[in-house]
Amino acid sequence: MKRSALLLLSLVFASAVTPSLGDVPMTKWGKPSLQGNWDFRTVTPFQRPASFADKEFLTMEEVEEFEAAVVAGREARAAIDFDGEYDQQDLDVGYNQFYLDQGTRMTTTMRTSQLVYPENGRMPAMTDRGRETAAYFRILQSRSPEGPEDRNLYDRCILGFNAGPPMRSGAYNNIMKLVQTEGHVAILVEMVNDHRIIPTDNGGPDLPTDMRLWKGDSRGYWDGDTFVVNTKNFTHLSRFSGTGEGMLLTERFTRLDENRLEYMWTVEDLEMFEDKFTAVVEMQLTEDDVFEYACHEANYAMPLMLSGARKQEASGEEDDTWLPSWSR
Amino acid sequence: MKINLAVKLIGTSLLMLSVLISCSQESSTPSMNISSDVARVAAVPAESGPPDLSGIWQVMNSASWNLEGHAASKMPVTTILGALGGIPAGMSVVEGTTIPYLPDALEQREKNRADWNNLDPVAKCYIPGVPRVTYMPWPFQILQTDSEIFIAYEFGSQSRSIFMDRPGTEAPLPSWMGYSLGHWDGDSLVVNVTKQVPDTWLDASGNYHGPNLVVEERYTLVDTNHIQYEVTIDDPDVYSRPWKISMPLYRRIEENARLLEYKCVEFGEDLLYDHLRKDYDGPKALDGSLRGN
Repeated sequence: MKRSALLLLSLVFASAVTPSLGDVPMTKWGKPSLQGNWDFRTVTPFQRPASFADKEFLTMEEVEEFEAAVVAGREARAAIDFDGEYDQQDLDVGYNQFYLDQGTRMTTTMRTSQLVYPENGRMPAMTDRGRETAAYFRILQSRSPEGPEDRNLYDRCILGFNAGPPMRSGAYNNIMKLVQTEGHVAILVEMVNDHRIIPTDNGGPDLPTDMRLWKGDSRGYWDGDTFVVNTKNFTHLSRFSGTGEGMLLTERFTRLDENRLEYMWTVEDLEMFEDKFTAVVEMQLTEDDVFEYACHEANYAMPLMLSGARKQEASGEEDDTWLPSWSR
Repeated sequence: MKINLAVKLIGTSLLMLSVLISCSQESSTPSMNISSDVARVAAVPAESGPPDLSGIWQVMNSASWNLEGHAASKMPVTTILGALGGIPAGMSVVEGTTIPYLPDALEQREKNRADWNNLDPVAKCYIPGVPRVTYMPWPFQILQTDSEIFIAYEFGSQSRSIFMDRPGTEAPLPSWMGYSLGHWDGDSLVVNVTKQVPDTWLDASGNYHGPNLVVEERYTLVDTNHIQYEVTIDDPDVYSRPWKISMPLYRRIEENARLLEYKCVEFGEDLLYDHLRKDYDGPKALDGSLRGN
């Protein structure tokens, strides 16, 4: 038999006995395709609300009720009259409903929270060190800023507040692009126009501990049909949810079907929290483009905050009216 | 059950045999201390489709300082950094050596140049735009797929998507990096970039453009480790004719080559907001001299 015919026969035969992944698109090199633009908006609460107590999953009817209640709550907020000094309808907290883009649907996991561990769907307690560090940054960022470093990384346009890593649905820009080659996966999160390039072969030796990256150092590998990404070497300012530079992040990407990407992540930082915590959502494939989020280029807020602070100092009239109401 | 097991064993054996056959047909791979991108490119026969530009690339010139020929010169930081605070010399990368500005536009370029460190958007860590982002002296990584080519730039953690599957479309909005549509012209990747905001410069020497900039890039893999990068730049409000730059891109071949972070906002903040810090004691340049507000 000719060599080419043998090759063809063996490939046809092998494909007949290789397990199929059903609706999951595959790459040319035989791995599930994770490529696409992914919408990670969700109204599923990050932590399980008290009203759901020990209930882990919802029925379809309960999901629809919850979603309807969220939409009704937003409509009520948009219509409310704020009384008191700041009579600006729907603008007291800086954004009105036009800007917020948190979706109207719960994630298709049907869960009562994004958090799945601890098993009660609530964040673990912070350690003493975690509480002290959180208090330090809370006080720093509540005072009139002496320089740009007094502001959080979102105000400085260094990291996005939904981008992590890990990615977590926030106020807006809840979309990411994933581009996949055999050797690397690139993840671009719209906020703030930032990317990670993740090798798929674990990427060689670890970085030394004195090399710290804002988004940490990510290395990936395939565990069957799931792409696992381990990230560490964060800076002490990266502070996802109050973590420190010792944070260890494990993300798991699993393509469920044509339209869904399961995204599960675990954060472990036992210096700041008494236990690890794990969340899971199902991102939805979208035809929407990821737009350029030129945050720093249009950061008018920073010079305004700083010049406002200097003016207050000059007049001796420092106050906290510049802070949004939720952080006073 | 036994028949199924036999079928699976035969299938697996034939698959292994086919892998062994196909491996013997590949060309030999380079030595193991260079990146896997090099080995992969060397192994692909030329007739198997467009070249794969995936990998990490970087320029080796001073075009980001000045596209036109220039001698070495001081920056405002030589009193602090000494010999590390100079701009290196470089040959022109412009075809015809100088940029064909219209007369009024050339005056504007000279005004830009006179105060470049305060006016250059990249000094503020703003997005460089295309083509400048390519010849910033930081590496960038190309991830090539059929539907899009994603380029990640270490400078500022910037990136862009070159869309290969939507010819004839337009950007809904202008942006700093513009809107990139790509196609293959033989073995050259041709990228048309439109809708860039007019706020970017082409280098740190005041060379600039207007809102109607049109850029056409050509990436041609001349051998495994070199791309010839040619760019045609046109803006009839600024230049008297379209003009070209060209330069090689060099593959980073070391095995541990990777992009790191150069998130420069914290550096740009000093330039942008120093005068708004508490206890700021007056405007001064970094060499200690006073400058106007």
